[in-house]
Amino acid sequence: MSETLLSKQIQSSRVAIIGNPNVGKSTIFNYLTGLNQKIGNYPGVTVDKKTGLINLKGENFEILDLPGTYSLFPNSEDEIIAHRVLNHTKIEARPDYVLMVIDSSQLSRGLFLATQLIDLGVNLAIILNMSDLAEKRKIEIKSYELFKALGVPILSTDARNQKGLDQVKSLISEKNFSKGSQTVDIKQVIPVEILEKVKAKFELENAYQAYQMIRFGAKDVAMPEEDRLWLGQLFQTMNFSLEEAQLEETKLRYKKITDIVTQAVTKKEAAKPKSSIDSVVLHPFWGYLIFAGILLVIFQTIFTWASYPMDLIDGLFAELTGYINDLLPAGPLTSLISEGVIPGIGGVVIFIPQIALLFGFLAILEDTGYMSRVVFLMDRWMRPFGLHGKSIVPLVSGIACAIPGVMAARNISNWKEKMITIMVTPLMSCSARLPVYIILIGLTVPDELIFGFINMQALALLGLYLLGVLGVLFTSLVMKFILKTKENSFLMTELPPYRLPRWGDVGITMFEKAKTFVFEAGKVILAISIILWVLATYGPPSRMEEVRLQGEARLENVTDESEIAAIEAETSSLLLENSFIGIMGRAIEPVIKPLGYDWKIGIALITSFAAREVFISTIATIYSIGGDVEDELTIREKLSQQINSNTGKPTFDVPTSFSLMVFYVFAMQCMSTLAVVKRETKSWKWPLIQTAYMSILAYVMAFITFQIFS
Amino acid sequence: MTAAALPLNRSGKILEILPSPLKINLMELGFLPGKYITLHHQAPSGGPMAFQMEETLLALRKSEAELIRVELI
Repeated sequence: MSETLLSKQIQSSRVAIIGNPNVGKSTIFNYLTGLNQKIGNYPGVTVDKKTGLINLKGENFEILDLPGTYSLFPNSEDEIIAHRVLNHTKIEARPDYVLMVIDSSQLSRGLFLATQLIDLGVNLAIILNMSDLAEKRKIEIKSYELFKALGVPILSTDARNQKGLDQVKSLISEKNFSKGSQTVDIKQVIPVEILEKVKAKFELENAYQAYQMIRFGAKDVAMPEEDRLWLGQLFQTMNFSLEEAQLEETKLRYKKITDIVTQAVTKKEAAKPKSSIDSVVLHPFWGYLIFAGILLVIFQTIFTWASYPMDLIDGLFAELTGYINDLLPAGPLTSLISEGVIPGIGGVVIFIPQIALLFGFLAILEDTGYMSRVVFLMDRWMRPFGLHGKSIVPLVSGIACAIPGVMAARNISNWKEKMITIMVTPLMSCSARLPVYIILIGLTVPDELIFGFINMQALALLGLYLLGVLGVLFTSLVMKFILKTKENSFLMTELPPYRLPRWGDVGITMFEKAKTFVFEAGKVILAISIILWVLATYGPPSRMEEVRLQGEARLENVTDESEIAAIEAETSSLLLENSFIGIMGRAIEPVIKPLGYDWKIGIALITSFAAREVFISTIATIYSIGGDVEDELTIREKLSQQINSNTGKPTFDVPTSFSLMVFYVFAMQCMSTLAVVKRETKSWKWPLIQTAYMSILAYVMAFITFQIFS
Repeated sequence: MTAAALPLNRSGKILEILPSPLKINLMELGFLPGKYITLHHQAPSGGPMAFQMEETLLALRKSEAELIRVELI
């Protein structure tokens, strides 16, 4: 047996799942692959590549979930993926089989993409999903007629209710896919000689592939430069309009589809009546009230539900530190574990409840079909700021975390609207700021009710979120006048029927997002915690030695235990002051003093440049190193005892705490977000601009706040 | 008249899609001559409009709805 044959046998078959948005593609993907999923990136663009492995009857299949698209005419970065995967210039990089999911109640629109896939010559099978909805709407599809017309296998499922999914598995394992019969002859709209030229140049199999290459190859950044130039030159020799050809193709295709649908579908009811839910949800007044109410419920829930597991985690890690100190002999290693590693891990783990809950809520809003209603309601109010109705999804996601928010901006096809959305999304107060807010509010705002029902702490928190929103609007408006584009902006979006959320899928989203956070952001946070411990423990040797000797000398003649403890605490505080990090903190003190911060806060600002949440773990590390390790006070209690060495007043008094909170509302302080922005914009220019403008905004606003309150 | 001028809860038959760079996007979503659309919802202050076309509820901006020439029925 030759080597190539062998490797071909070991290699698993690749099946791509494709379909319009909101047809239940992900449910089928989740059913097939379960938690055995991998999320990667497509080269060149940053759309998530979701793949999963399944083993059916001893054979491995790699399943690829393509982003939802209405056609193979790409409009956005998401949609170009389907085109690129299916028309890959390397044949071995294309999927072996394509599984297309169609919403049974919207057959003709699904068939638009399906007939394009057939003309492309892929090995296809069609799943008619949501058969329950079609039944409810009294639509009956004669599968056999459809099969006769298209020439590809057809299955009927109801993925939400787990019906018919076994058939999907057996279809895949039996490789029951086939190339259908051509639906539209593209030679009717494009001169044969051009199609032949392109077909030969790129070694394509048929005329429709050649047409796709002509139409989109030149625009595709993933194509080699010389191929794009070659296509560009070809255009100049052509004397017809490609747009016209595409319109003509669309007409021909819909004509064919109408014929097929007339044959295969019996419909007993005319247009769908107006939904009574939408009459309220999209109401010019009640609609907005409901949206505000939903946001309020989400925040309230996060605030109350997440606080129990968070307090538990906080206490658990404090106990663990004490336990480790008792168990292990004192020394640098013990100190590294109890003061560097454990607080570092604790700082990551404490976010899990919030992140999981927030993503859970977002998944529910998306899954029920509500999110696109929000786009409908908000488009009018986003546009004056240079944003798109779809910007609301990144912005609302930004409340959980700017990273998925920035990534969600891909769905916006207009470059300018997309850039503004990406640039302002990190100004939404993300969950990483929440611990900073919660601790500082807890220190300075009384836990009392005003007017008998509004909690003052909750009110302060709401104020910080609103401040972020104001920042978003202000910055968007400024950018609207700076950025220029010739592209059209359009809304054109489907408002899918309301459905109950698929709890399994919501659970998978919560799990996946929390996992990504722990392993991605967690790595940065843990590494920084260890670096921080090293910087705080070591300093210039001569200075550190001097402090240590002085301390020992003072201890020589003292016998009173409380006096010994006092001297020891003073020595360790002096050691911290002379450590590398103390030197760095002191160096920036003149700059941050007008904001009301001392050098210890300066240290936390430096370390939290990588990630905001590091602020808390840094503060925890700094003060546990400076104090007595034996007593396991929780972070909040430790902070309230701190005295500012410059003023003699408590470090975290009202002006400083408020100034710090405002600083964190506006400051960029998140390397992961910057990395994602770089990936999304494909240049360092935008993340750098973003860091600069946000830092300046943060400094100025914090300065103003400090002046007002002191 | 265009779809943008349809009164709330009234239907129109699509006569043609006016030439524009957005024509292809509209057709792709199924806005084709001969189809019937009903205006179901209208966001306030000149905001988007939601049209029911067969089984689908589709949201368009007013400027996009102006590209669809309809006959009131």
